[in-house]
Amino acid sequence: MEMKRPGGELASRPLHFIWIADSSGSMGDDGKIQSLNTAIREAIPHMKKVAEDNPNAQVLVRAVKFSNGAQWHISQPTPVADFAWADLTADGETDMGKGLELVAEQLKMPPMSDRALPPVLVLVSDGQPTDDFEGGLKALMEQPWGKKAVRIAISIGQDADPEVLQKFIGNSELKPLAANSPEALVKHIKWASTAVLKSASSPAATADVPAGTDTANVPIPTVAAPTVGTPNDGAQAANAGTPNGAAQTADADNQNTVDDVW
Amino acid sequence: MDQILKPGQTVQCLPSGMPCTIETLLGAGGQGEVYKAQLGGEAVAVKWFFSQMATPEQRASMELLIRKGAPSEHFLYPMEITTASGVPGFGYIMPLRPPRFKNIVDLMKRRIEPTFRALATAGLNLSHNYLLLHSQGLCYRDISFGNAFFDPLNGDVLIADNDNVSVDGAGVLGVLGTPRFMAPEVVRGDALPSTNTDLFSLSVLIFYILMVSHPLEGKKETEIKCLDLPAMTKLYGTEPLFIFDPNDNSNAPVPGIHDNALAFWRIYPQFLRDIFIRAFTVGMRDPVNGRVRESEWRGEMIRLRDAIFYCPHCSLENFYDSIALKASGGNPGLCWACAAALRLPPRIRIGKSVVMLNYDAQLFPHHIDDQKMYDFSAPVAAVSVHPTKPNVWGLKNVSKDKWVITATDGSVKDVEPERSVSLTVGTKIQFGKSEGEIRL
Repeated sequence: MEMKRPGGELASRPLHFIWIADSSGSMGDDGKIQSLNTAIREAIPHMKKVAEDNPNAQVLVRAVKFSNGAQWHISQPTPVADFAWADLTADGETDMGKGLELVAEQLKMPPMSDRALPPVLVLVSDGQPTDDFEGGLKALMEQPWGKKAVRIAISIGQDADPEVLQKFIGNSELKPLAANSPEALVKHIKWASTAVLKSASSPAATADVPAGTDTANVPIPTVAAPTVGTPNDGAQAANAGTPNGAAQTADADNQNTVDDVW
Repeated sequence: MDQILKPGQTVQCLPSGMPCTIETLLGAGGQGEVYKAQLGGEAVAVKWFFSQMATPEQRASMELLIRKGAPSEHFLYPMEITTASGVPGFGYIMPLRPPRFKNIVDLMKRRIEPTFRALATAGLNLSHNYLLLHSQGLCYRDISFGNAFFDPLNGDVLIADNDNVSVDGAGVLGVLGTPRFMAPEVVRGDALPSTNTDLFSLSVLIFYILMVSHPLEGKKETEIKCLDLPAMTKLYGTEPLFIFDPNDNSNAPVPGIHDNALAFWRIYPQFLRDIFIRAFTVGMRDPVNGRVRESEWRGEMIRLRDAIFYCPHCSLENFYDSIALKASGGNPGLCWACAAALRLPPRIRIGKSVVMLNYDAQLFPHHIDDQKMYDFSAPVAAVSVHPTKPNVWGLKNVSKDKWVITATDGSVKDVEPERSVSLTVGTKIQFGKSEGEIRL
């Protein structure tokens, strides 16, 4: 596109969004891992839309999986427009602590930049940690970006440990989201990847949450009544001739031969 | 995904009682969902509030807006309330946004590249329409990126999301606004949205549109590592400082980060810089008496349109700045884009306004009669070329009324409609209610 004005895009800050997903053996039961894959795939287009509507943030997405140990499932911080989900498969233990350690490692500066929007970490699990969860959480919270991160937890089924997830969240006003059905999982995953994402880059105050009185660094909208922001419902001719001032141009004789009015 | 209404479902309009058929979900926000629908053979939009948002207060507020009617056709305004049996809550009908109208976000991301003229026109139209709304005693409360749309070709505007509109000073209902747009007193929690806070948000929106940057994001923003709510409250609420505050440069734009602010600021005329300075110094500190009013923005946007002239080399738009011109002894300087020496076209002074007479310039009713409103569909004058002498430029009378000119020799002549007067320095044109003089 031909530029008609100086400058570039509006300056933005990176917003790191990290899925921390349980891929332990129990996630293989009752189609839970398939449900999670579906829920994340379902949420991605909505996530892209939120990012597209927000010129202040450069949303970068990646994912960690934990089972026996932990591994970056999608290792590169990927611009959300290019982000594609790779299906998880289920196998092994629930080494949630290792998963948090991996995230902590990547939230150090560097590789993190020193200026950013609060990262969003979404932990999804169906069970009890089988490793040193406290150690992993400590490593995460020792990082300034870990502490500043918006931490959301979603439990799948009845076996997840709400206390563990609550510790991860670290904010008593925000509870883990229980996904007891595939529909609920889709809903929670979508909420985390849209409403929370939006809130992290543009924390809106509403009349219910008066501005200037928040205690959290990012107000988290509630599931029942999302309070983030407002609905987004929503030539020049090639030849730029310069008319001459007739009276002072070189061929001022025109002046003598042309009437004032024509 | 669950949605409140299903395709093919019929909802009832009130008070008309007409049925309206839901087609597709267009989007969802924090307050409800918006659908495309058919009403009597016409495509419309239906917004349905989430049940917890569908309060009696919200309904009364919507009914008030419907009773009062849209301030102009530039609002996607509620037309009728809708209800449906078996569906909790209610919704409302509004016009559908035609696709030629683009989001301001597209402008920020440079996905569209309008001319300065189109942007100044959009600023003018936004100011004018928010003034119409405020004149009804209503305030908008959430002027921001997501709810103002414009046509990048001509600067036409549409104002959406009008369900937050309420009587000015009527207290709390719904949102406080959008971060980065909220007035500092709202960010601090000292005030609720009102017409006065709308005026601040409008200033931010116009700054974003013309500068592709935020008026308060300078050095202080670079010193913030994590831009979270406490940091934003400080930056936009408790310690706001304009990046071009002439008396305090501690929040100046930082090269490499705030390049847009630096690039645009220097190419605009001083009068525009002055009104931005007012908006974000006095106007920031004094919400009641200091804010730049919409009619002032309107005037400055017109002035900005009129100041545009083209680089003779690359044809891009530059701005006439009488103050800079005086300071440089009449040298218009270099083009911001290609650095070629600029050459000013002739111009016409009418009252206090000066209009560049570019090859494509037109004068409109408001130029020659200050009682007339802005109407860019009906020019009264247009720059023209002599039919047989291509070096002779003129101003053609495309109005219905006769002009009378006084030439430099003192002779007086009539310029009937469809005739032109040569662009001769010193010629005075009596348009009827005002007089213009050709200058160079």
